[in-house]
Amino acid sequence: MELSKKTTKGWQVIEVNGQVDSKTVGDLRDYLDENIKGDLPVALELSDVPFMSSAGLRTMLTLYRKTQDMNVKLCLVGLIEEIAETMKVTGFYQYFTNYPSLSALPEEQK
Amino acid sequence: MTIIERIDQRSTETINGYKVRPGKPLPFGASLIQNGINFSIYSSAGTSCTLVLFEKEQDQPLVEIQIPENYKIGDVYSIIVFDVNPEEIEYGYRIDGPHNPGAGHRFNRAEILMDPYARLISGRDEWGKKPNWERPYPYRARVPFDDFDWQDDRPLEIDPADLVIYELHVRGFTKDGSSGVSHPGTYAGLVEKIPYLKQLGINAVELMPIFEFDEFENSRIHPESNEQLYNYWGYSTLGFFAPKAAFASTGKFGMQVDEFKQLVKSLHAAGIEVILDVVFNHTAEGNENGPTLSFKGLDNKTYYMLTPEGYYFNFSGTGNTLNCNNPVVRSLVLDCLRYWAAEYHIDGFRFDLASILGRDPWGAPLSNPPLLETLAFDPILSSCKLIAEAWDAGGLYQVGTFPAFGRWGEWNGKYRDCARKFLKGDQGQIGEIAQRLQGSPDLYKHTGRSPATSVNFITCHDGFTLSDLVSFNEKHNEANGEGNNDGNNDNLSWNCGAEGWSDDPNILQLRQRQMMNAMALLLTSRGIPMIVMGDEVGRSQHGNNNAYCLDSPISWLNWKLLDSNQSLHDFTKALIHFRLQHPALRVNSFDNKHTYSIDMPGCSFHGAEPWKPNWDENSRQLAWMMTSEPQTTSNEADMVYVAANMAHYASWYELPKAPASYQWILNFNTGDTNCQHFTPGNELAQNGILVGERSIVIITASKIKPESTI
Repeated sequence: MELSKKTTKGWQVIEVNGQVDSKTVGDLRDYLDENIKGDLPVALELSDVPFMSSAGLRTMLTLYRKTQDMNVKLCLVGLIEEIAETMKVTGFYQYFTNYPSLSALPEEQK
Repeated sequence: MTIIERIDQRSTETINGYKVRPGKPLPFGASLIQNGINFSIYSSAGTSCTLVLFEKEQDQPLVEIQIPENYKIGDVYSIIVFDVNPEEIEYGYRIDGPHNPGAGHRFNRAEILMDPYARLISGRDEWGKKPNWERPYPYRARVPFDDFDWQDDRPLEIDPADLVIYELHVRGFTKDGSSGVSHPGTYAGLVEKIPYLKQLGINAVELMPIFEFDEFENSRIHPESNEQLYNYWGYSTLGFFAPKAAFASTGKFGMQVDEFKQLVKSLHAAGIEVILDVVFNHTAEGNENGPTLSFKGLDNKTYYMLTPEGYYFNFSGTGNTLNCNNPVVRSLVLDCLRYWAAEYHIDGFRFDLASILGRDPWGAPLSNPPLLETLAFDPILSSCKLIAEAWDAGGLYQVGTFPAFGRWGEWNGKYRDCARKFLKGDQGQIGEIAQRLQGSPDLYKHTGRSPATSVNFITCHDGFTLSDLVSFNEKHNEANGEGNNDGNNDNLSWNCGAEGWSDDPNILQLRQRQMMNAMALLLTSRGIPMIVMGDEVGRSQHGNNNAYCLDSPISWLNWKLLDSNQSLHDFTKALIHFRLQHPALRVNSFDNKHTYSIDMPGCSFHGAEPWKPNWDENSRQLAWMMTSEPQTTSNEADMVYVAANMAHYASWYELPKAPASYQWILNFNTGDTNCQHFTPGNELAQNGILVGERSIVIITASKIKPESTI
């Protein structure tokens, strides 16, 4: 899994590349813990994630709860259709605001 | 805050390269802990236990860890294995011990056994996908995550008297292409059809078995197509704690636990309870010729009822009988139901062949079966509906006498039989049908039970559909590959003049009317009505009354019937909503309290003349009136008068005199060829009505509204 970050339109964007499953969630979680700051909304860019396992979906929901606690907005960007469908039927989808791409992200004011 | 590291997060030794330490015997099964998994398994007569771990989908084990003797407390082996990835492993056990079937022992170290407490099972992840038959350990235990986010969901606890149950098969409900859902035949597909169920008005679904089973457990061949037949219904449990993977669109990813929970959550959000059809009477291991999958190799003598010679008692008709009143098995059943109630928010359970649950280990019926008592008084299950199919295949028939402990309801087989006979115009039914539509006080009143003890039904998954009940005199089960020898021969059905398909308009019209009559009878009876999937649109199985093995359009719901049988659908829907609007039909007491505000009895019977029912053997006409006092939100008493004429001629029914300031309103008339339900109802011009041959009318009384003045 490759992870990187950047800031776009007032969002701190975390770009994830690779499968999110029980083998990789630890890395993702650590990266998010280290890099997410409380002052900007968070966009998780997932267009290069081909599969998300049960553990992966749980990490998304844990992140949602964490950002809620921090009073920081969270959205998912570029989720592929298969994962979106899996998230819908297992109940994970409803928690998230989704955007098809970074260009669709609304401008956030600081 | 400083987090204190737990001592038991560290291993005490290494076995075969894996860090381990003695585990905790409770809870049974495999439980996730901080950095490992706690495994716990019971065997009283086994002499050693080996935990077998597989990498997911690999044929050969990753490692085998013999659980050290000093890890055993009582008869329970437990071990914590550290640093294993729960998503990537499957597990089983080998148990050593005597192989002496005559003494009840069938230990065989060569077999890898599934954990009876497995909460996730792989091996049949996608329906009908041919497995590798040579694969060792075909059904594999896995460890699920159990942290589903329920938000504010909880079981609905609808008053039993207010329930209208809809029995359905998860796959059959949406598998047909006509369902138009994105995930046909799955839990997710069912979620997509919740708006349909909500509109229909039902408030509980009873799901045919969703515990993991093997759809390939059937060796028979379709006699015409030569295709392999299935175990489609699923009354053959592999794992009591695991939802069927192949009913989940995400089963291939092992996410059936979450998908099923999301189904329950979605149904609850729509005000619909979830009742599970649970099969504790037997398992998928069959008799002495069946496979060893789990219980047989773990502790055969504990889990099964055995003859003195060590053969399997067969009170279930399927080869073996679970030994439910053995204390260990009783605990397993209790743990299982608690798990589904607490972890899945299940609202109720219907127990298949429940009379078996009241037999002692030698098969004799118990007067106070400890299992039934335990379930009745369990604190976690206290709000769950417990419904017994109060008979078994060993000849025990307990409708009306099932040990209820004030809690258990029953599938009322006597209601079904009497209603069928009454509907087809058999003589001598008037007296009994009067009992049935009051909630069967003859069966339940003397033991202090209430009308909602009785789950009333005319059809269910087992037997003819409603459409077939009015279209066939005989079963037509040839497709099941048993020479039409399977299934019930005594269907109490009537084909209305021709066997099966007909284009005679008179026959078709009569069949339609008879289906409406059945719905009208069912939905105006006190007790809990249950209808089976598709009866509201006239679903046919072409005369097959035992389609347990047919995964085909015969068993699936064809949603195009909604168009072709719209009048029956609309009629049923209107009736269900009518029932929910009329508390008089849902009175849950046999006291028959007088309704003083209108000076009418709570329940009374009538004939063509009011207050004069004809109880004669040859009578086929009965009217009943149910009343109740005004609800807190209304100043109007509730009155429902139903006139049933199952004779082959029309009769004028004079109505009881309406109370002062009330008038009679016609709501339903199955004998009206133009329109069978009226919303709002039609004011009756006379104090009586002509009830057509084989017809039912439903009339209510409403307060006369003062003329508005301009």
